[in-house]
Amino acid sequence: MAAPGSSSVWSTPEVQKHHEQQSVCHTRPTYREGRRPKAVKVYTINLESRYLMVQGVPAIGVMSELVQLFALYGVIEEYRVLDEYPAEQFTEVYLIRLQKIQSARAAKRNLDERSFFGGLLHVCYAPEYETVEDTREKLLDRRRYVAWSLHNKVKELDKTDQNQGEKSKEATMGQTALETQKSIEACVEGDRSDFSSFRYPLLPPPPQERFPPYSEQTLVKFTAGEDNMGSKYHFMDSSEQPPPFTVQKPSYHENTLRRGALPAARFIPRTTHLENRKRKAEEASKTLFSGIGGKCETLIGPKLPEPPKLDMEDNSLNITAGLIRNTMKKISSVPEHKSTEKKSAEKPRRRI
Amino acid sequence: MSRRRRFSASDRSEYLQALVTEFQDTDSEEAREQVLANLANFSYDPRNVEDLKRLQVTELFLDMLTEESDNLVEFGIGGLCNLSADRDCCDQIVQSGGVELVTGCLSSRREETVLSAIGTLMNLAVTDTRPLASCDAVLQCMLRFSLSRSPRLRNLAIVFLMDCCTQEQVEQAKQQLQGHTQTALGIPLPEASDSGS
Repeated sequence: MAAPGSSSVWSTPEVQKHHEQQSVCHTRPTYREGRRPKAVKVYTINLESRYLMVQGVPAIGVMSELVQLFALYGVIEEYRVLDEYPAEQFTEVYLIRLQKIQSARAAKRNLDERSFFGGLLHVCYAPEYETVEDTREKLLDRRRYVAWSLHNKVKELDKTDQNQGEKSKEATMGQTALETQKSIEACVEGDRSDFSSFRYPLLPPPPQERFPPYSEQTLVKFTAGEDNMGSKYHFMDSSEQPPPFTVQKPSYHENTLRRGALPAARFIPRTTHLENRKRKAEEASKTLFSGIGGKCETLIGPKLPEPPKLDMEDNSLNITAGLIRNTMKKISSVPEHKSTEKKSAEKPRRRI
Repeated sequence: MSRRRRFSASDRSEYLQALVTEFQDTDSEEAREQVLANLANFSYDPRNVEDLKRLQVTELFLDMLTEESDNLVEFGIGGLCNLSADRDCCDQIVQSGGVELVTGCLSSRREETVLSAIGTLMNLAVTDTRPLASCDAVLQCMLRFSLSRSPRLRNLAIVFLMDCCTQEQVEQAKQQLQGHTQTALGIPLPEASDSGS
């Protein structure tokens, strides 16, 4: 196999042209000046990548801080130092792979030219580290996104046309919509959540576990009652809560409503556990109290309201209950001490 | 990626119009490069596609491919690569006879230009203009690229061969290539048979 030998791990990676930082353009007329000074450069989907190369990181052992900084923009799948890459003295070069290309774009936009522990970061894309599959996926996602975006626009135009009552425009739009719809239905499978972050870079909702950002508007447009993970979730029902993103039980929301303040499979405070047990114990004692007469024949004197077999749902508590029961049996043979022991038996369980 | 100003739709159209006007009127080479780069970057966002089509920016980009300046060619083909994600733009490229111009960019010295050209051809091939975009010469070129030293070029060429043409076409091109000692971009071919992908 005539694989090029220069791509082996041991050779010095070439400094690619797109890694170099070009000089900023100063000769733009005012109307074309952006907020931040930029070089003259064109970005295509070929140049953008999930892989980012970060140069200019001070070599003072700040790898974890750097990774944390980039993690603000999205999930990081992998990161490593590029020891063999030519770097300025006392600086390091890192390669970071993010899960999504949108995160990489956001990270690059915000962190390029940022001061970091005394050094100036230079962030650029590193598409040469992609695999063939990465590249393919990237291009497919791009095509899907454009198709979705144009379909969306057509839909919006359709709505406005209906509102205004221009039917001639609608006909042509409908045709193009049909075409794009076919291509979309062929392409778009389950990546709708990604589109939301393309169009609507939202902040994450107020802290609730397992609820990453998810555009409400996207939900309205796409899901009639099912989000992309397949769980049947009706957006209309929960306008107050952010919609669940991960695969959860279909009846998650109903469980939440039934239990009141305590959603299922969440952290339930111990006091609640104990109260539940107490409630069960009382219910059990009530049911057993009526049938207790036959079992207490050996007892001398008034019946004690203790159930013979009560599962406290905890071994230690069962042992405690057993001990108390035995003690009471012993003491019940001596009638005078019964009242005090009865009180001690009804003391609240010690919380472990 | 440059952060765009938050314009409304009408402001956006006006701004793009202003850019195109400046491009046509100015004599400064520098200003032309800057405006062209701006337009190419704007082509990336599908929201602008309608306006850019109305302003016939596709034609503008195609014209740039015949320019002598490497920068103008690079930005022009970059803009086409971005725009060609839209079906109508693909049709317009084909109708204007732009496929040969795009294919011509495959011989450029600049890697970005070549990559953008491959990207454009891929988009053209996907939108049912397969016979034009994947003729034998193009396939042979892609086969040569798939053996390139540059990983970006290799990956793109492999994806092109996988997605944009049939297996028979690839085999046919391989057979035609065997025995040739031509090179692409100065990269000598290996002696052994090429099972590139």
